[in-house]
Amino acid sequence: MGNLGDKKGIGNLDSPKMPFDYSKREYGTVPLDTKRAPFQWVSEVAYKNVHRIVSRGYDTTEVMEQGYGVVDMLFVDYQARIPLIEEEKMLNYVMILALEDGLSMPAAISRLVAKSKTFLTQACGASILAFGHAYGAYSAFGNRLEEYLQKVDEEGKSLEEVAELLVKENLNDEALGASSLMLKDPAAKRMFARAEKFGVAGKHIAFTKKIVKAAQKISAEPVDLDMLGAIGATMMDLGFSPEATWAILAVTRSFAAGAHYIEEVEREEYMKIGQTLTPKEDYDGPADRPVPPLKDREKFAKPALTRTSEEWKKAFDERKKIYGSGYSIVEEIEDPSKKSGIKKVGKL
Amino acid sequence: MDREPLFRRKTSISYKTEEKTVMRGYDLSELAEEGYSFCDALFVLYQNRIPTDNEEKMLKYEMGVFMEHSMSPSAVAAIGVSAGRPNLPCAVAAAITTFGGVHGPGAAHGYMMNKYLVRAQKEGKTLDEMAKTLVDEYMDAKKPVMGMGQPQHIDSDPRAEPIHVKHEELELTGVYLEFQRAVEKHFHARRKKEGRSYVGVNVVGAGNAALTEIGFAPNAAWCLGSVCRGFSCAAHALFNMKKGRAWGASRNEPMVQMIDLSMIKYIGPEDREVPTQDERQEYAKKQKEEGEYKKWVI
Repeated sequence: MGNLGDKKGIGNLDSPKMPFDYSKREYGTVPLDTKRAPFQWVSEVAYKNVHRIVSRGYDTTEVMEQGYGVVDMLFVDYQARIPLIEEEKMLNYVMILALEDGLSMPAAISRLVAKSKTFLTQACGASILAFGHAYGAYSAFGNRLEEYLQKVDEEGKSLEEVAELLVKENLNDEALGASSLMLKDPAAKRMFARAEKFGVAGKHIAFTKKIVKAAQKISAEPVDLDMLGAIGATMMDLGFSPEATWAILAVTRSFAAGAHYIEEVEREEYMKIGQTLTPKEDYDGPADRPVPPLKDREKFAKPALTRTSEEWKKAFDERKKIYGSGYSIVEEIEDPSKKSGIKKVGKL
Repeated sequence: MDREPLFRRKTSISYKTEEKTVMRGYDLSELAEEGYSFCDALFVLYQNRIPTDNEEKMLKYEMGVFMEHSMSPSAVAAIGVSAGRPNLPCAVAAAITTFGGVHGPGAAHGYMMNKYLVRAQKEGKTLDEMAKTLVDEYMDAKKPVMGMGQPQHIDSDPRAEPIHVKHEELELTGVYLEFQRAVEKHFHARRKKEGRSYVGVNVVGAGNAALTEIGFAPNAAWCLGSVCRGFSCAAHALFNMKKGRAWGASRNEPMVQMIDLSMIKYIGPEDREVPTQDERQEYAKKQKEEGEYKKWVI
């Protein structure tokens, strides 16, 4: 293995700026820590042993043998409880409505992946990644609902006042729950009606209705309850958190993505690498240009380096003109362990 | 054979005909034939320009040092996914998608720097003054200062300072490194004043200062780091696929496996009887009324 003793003179590693002596760094892995409990997979959700699988205290085989089903299990896994019959029926209703949406993004992604002769699961997995904070934005919608509902309790405002405030501050957001998408399709409103009929409608549906009214007051175009608002509010009245809703609905749609994968494979051809052309008329980047000789690199290279705030700002604004560089996008990314991660995503 | 585009969209990144593929005006074959590197091509892709020699060296260094990190969330994800023996790309995709708010949050660090650099400009403050403001605002709000601290390399991330020094050696010190160094200075000073232990700069703080300095926007920098890590995570997945046991639960292995039954510790509700369908409605009502379930809701 050669001399693994003290090493000096490797690159910059002897620099006094280094936080410790790099030439004396130890080799080898860290010994087992015997002072702490050994690693285990800790879970509140489920455990299993040789003979049982238990979720939230219930043996899952017994749950099924007692006549419950997968929809009941969603309540058990996410909420640690057996749902009322009406709640189970309502979640079935929601999941049916959420299952298929034509050739929308999850289906399109699934079909694109399918064209590469993959496992079906790759296409289904890819379809789930389409759910973000615009399309299927259940986390963004639900967390906002919770945030503003808190104002009713904490600031003593009425539901109407808070709804108006929410709309004023978020009218053009994709996750508002009210839009022009379903002016001719009654499905969203029928979902609320069904929830009311089942007796499972609660404060989230009531608040969302107020939001729709508030949006209708100030929107320049006709708007109404959309599917995001209908499903998001109904799921929260069923007791699901915004994140649980996001996951359950994305996975629900993935079943349909599987069908799109299958149809794509059945009816269409696989694609080879390099097969798809991008016509020049669709390209609006720099005109064709010769590659500068490598020896002349420094003549052609435009350094990015800026040394003052003013230079930096000027360069930054200039770079915004380059599509694909990322300079026109701003995001606020927070620790997602409690909520939903990216709170604000969008163009500058 | 259908050769029509899947999407009809305008793009300024590239076009492709039957004769050639052109990225930002440069024929890819010519770029490669001329001797430019993959890292050079990344500058063309994201920044529409040929980099200087030193800028290319900086990117090569940063990506090289970031690629492999043994057991971090990304490698663990790749290994976990590979246990089910899907196609290898599934494990790689899972690894890359672990990069979020707290694992290699390169974009977040970049956006943080840009936000405060804009403020420095608007408020007429020096970079040093604005760095202190940043540190104070984050620490007053009890939020971690991005780019500082690493849960495994507790004596300081061994990749970080060498990146800074390389950054300086290549004479690429500009606004970003000056600002990052100032953030570190004020961060260390405040922790010391508060009697707290030393927490060094991490690879995101150092690496991202370098990547932004050489012109990559926060998301572009994030992409370079996260996707580059995908290379090594694929190796971890492959090792486990070729030399490890599928499932990770075999009792025939000399070492207890990743998901051996004894590795599970359950802290949820006590074991309980499943109610019959006849009992269901009453049972469910009582459960909702009592509300004990709420403490388990996730």
